[in-house]
Amino acid sequence: MKRKDTVKLISADEMEFVIDKDAVMVSQTIRNLLTSPGGFAETKLGEVTFPEISAVILERICQYFYWALQYSR
Amino acid sequence: MSNQKKRNFQIEAFKHRVVVDPKYAEKTWSILEHAIHEIYNHNASGLSFEELYRNAYNMVLHKFGEKLYSGLVATMTAHLKEISKSIEAAQGDLFLEELNRKWNDHNKALQMIRDILMYMDRTYIPNTHKTPVHELGLNLWRDNVIHSSKIQSRLLSMLLELVHRERTGEVIDRGLMRNIIKMLMDLGSSVYQEDFEKPFLEVSAEFYMGESQKFIECCDCGDYLKKAELRLNEEIERVTHYLDVKSEVKITNVVEKEMIANHMMRLVHMENSGLVNMLLDDKYEDLGRMYNLFRRVPNGLSTIRDVMTSHLREIGKQLVTDAEKLKDPVEFVQRLLDEKDKYDSIISQAFSNDKTFQNALNSSFEYFINLNNRSPEFISLFVDDKLRKGLKGVSEEDVEIILDKVMMLFRYLQEKDVFEKYYKQHLAKRLLSGKTVSDDAERSLIVKLKTECGYQFTSKLEGMFTDMKTSQDTMQGFYASHPELTDGPTLVVQVLTTGSWPTQPSITCNLPAETSALCEKFRSYYLGTHTGRRLSWQTNMGTADIKATFGKGQKHELNVSTYQMCVLMLFNNADRLSYKEVEQATGIPASDLKRCLQSMACVKGKNVLRKEPMSKDIGEDDAFFVNDKFTSKFYKVKIGTVVAQKESEPEKQETRQRVEEDRKPQIEAAIKRIESLIERDFLERDNNDRKLYRYLA
Repeated sequence: MKRKDTVKLISADEMEFVIDKDAVMVSQTIRNLLTSPGGFAETKLGEVTFPEISAVILERICQYFYWALQYSR
Repeated sequence: MSNQKKRNFQIEAFKHRVVVDPKYAEKTWSILEHAIHEIYNHNASGLSFEELYRNAYNMVLHKFGEKLYSGLVATMTAHLKEISKSIEAAQGDLFLEELNRKWNDHNKALQMIRDILMYMDRTYIPNTHKTPVHELGLNLWRDNVIHSSKIQSRLLSMLLELVHRERTGEVIDRGLMRNIIKMLMDLGSSVYQEDFEKPFLEVSAEFYMGESQKFIECCDCGDYLKKAELRLNEEIERVTHYLDVKSEVKITNVVEKEMIANHMMRLVHMENSGLVNMLLDDKYEDLGRMYNLFRRVPNGLSTIRDVMTSHLREIGKQLVTDAEKLKDPVEFVQRLLDEKDKYDSIISQAFSNDKTFQNALNSSFEYFINLNNRSPEFISLFVDDKLRKGLKGVSEEDVEIILDKVMMLFRYLQEKDVFEKYYKQHLAKRLLSGKTVSDDAERSLIVKLKTECGYQFTSKLEGMFTDMKTSQDTMQGFYASHPELTDGPTLVVQVLTTGSWPTQPSITCNLPAETSALCEKFRSYYLGTHTGRRLSWQTNMGTADIKATFGKGQKHELNVSTYQMCVLMLFNNADRLSYKEVEQATGIPASDLKRCLQSMACVKGKNVLRKEPMSKDIGEDDAFFVNDKFTSKFYKVKIGTVVAQKESEPEKQETRQRVEEDRKPQIEAAIKRIESLIERDFLERDNNDRKLYRYLA
């Protein structure tokens, strides 16, 4: 069970990161993904898989999201 | 850190796996092609955005952008051709609904496709100057669907059909219309204009040409304008509901041209219902409507204005030359004021106080008021009537309103000096007979005249008021210094300064003894305090109150003119007097004497004298007696009144002559001034037109 305003990011090595939606929207690509009409698989489940990104990198990316969010406010 | 170390510190780009598989592009593309199919088939939920995005990204990165792009074009085109067929297959009214549905689907698909191909949109496309995905999608829709031969004309005729139905009163699906029109607008303003707006305007022009022809044959002007207004508003409303806002001015131009501009003259001059009829009947609503509609077309307002002006001039001319109406000057002026009020009202209520119309009104009035050269005299008589009795009991504000209206007419006069002459005469009579209703009103009018024409114009008039006041003071002084006279007859003298008052021939008559003695006493008193002056009695202008006792002992107080007093006093010493005897004793000029006797012997209720024979006219052989049988309900009887009347023909000639005389010096002075300006090179004569002067720099 996840809270409504979160998104799950899954790395290539199956690590799961549960991130606030606000943070994840920092990425234009993910924003488009989630707001695209027509219901791709990701929007239904609220989770995005990155088969080519390792957990280490993905973790860094998530940290970047939060940092960017903090300084944009 | 030293510089050397800094230079050695570099960050290298992240290197991707080198692609080895020769069929890489094919494989990747088919994944994407499949995805596009699924999207168009509403099956996107099985697709992973991330996967598709990554594949597109990789293709572009590995320099396969060209393949991706052309693949996209081909796939979309194929789909759109399919869609086109299904739209063509729709029957009747379902055609537009199907088109609308497919358009919505296409937009949704397009957005999804754009999202997954975002990387290509941002890098490959700008670099190669190709059309971005979204725009590409719209262009392909336009080319394969909207401009497909089977759809293009059907679409247009359906849209025009619906508009036509709505114009004939049917209810149509406005939401659907709005969506379809919006689609055309989204495809580009040239699509909207070529595929809809231009034909729409053409068809509308034909429609309204027919409408206007139909209406103009069977409607009167007012009804036609109502219908035109309705149609105009309907079109404006249509635009707000489902057309591009830029179309509003274009369609309203069509309606204005077909329904108004093309029929303007016929409407204005329509028998029994055109502009002139509306003006005559004060049809404010119709006139207002006409004004609002005509102001939208070139020359609309000037047409209305010209017809109104010529109508006004016609009416005005009739007014001022109609002999019947000219019999009563007060009535005449009142009619002018009423006409002005009527048109002021029309201009404010129906023509939104348009200044150009106000000017047309003013110029028309100026034109016809001056057609009749008795206008100045009549206006003065009107004022005289008001100041004598017309303003009795009227509030101060209303008095001002009436005087302002008089001033307004005054401004239209070209011969203002004629007015001044008459005004002076009438004012003199009012002052001397004490017959003015309100001193404040008199003075208020003088102030207005001064503001309008300057001090010169009113200086003499003001002099007259001053004389009246001074005379009051003089009388007080006279009686104060002669206390023994308080028991005798009371004398009231108005001393008039010659220059201020209208010139009168100075005629004296023989006053009765008591009166003349008193007058002499006054003369010596006055000349005692004012040396170097000359006094002459104006016996034709005075009045007297005398107490009379008649045969049966009835007593009355008679208010008479000085002449009448002289005549009556004779009967204190004689019972019977012939005309000749009266003439000799009084020294009154013949015409005045006849009028005087007539008013006392021949008028019922005022016949204090009896005449033999009992004829209406005074003959030189008539004899006069006191009428001992005289009766009246009232104790005080008024016999002599000096009322201002409109002049007789000879009097008129005389006045006009005097005005011409007075103008001569003014004109000469003006000529001298112009000559001196020409000499000193401020003015020059125009070479071609002798009547023109030019200002020199």
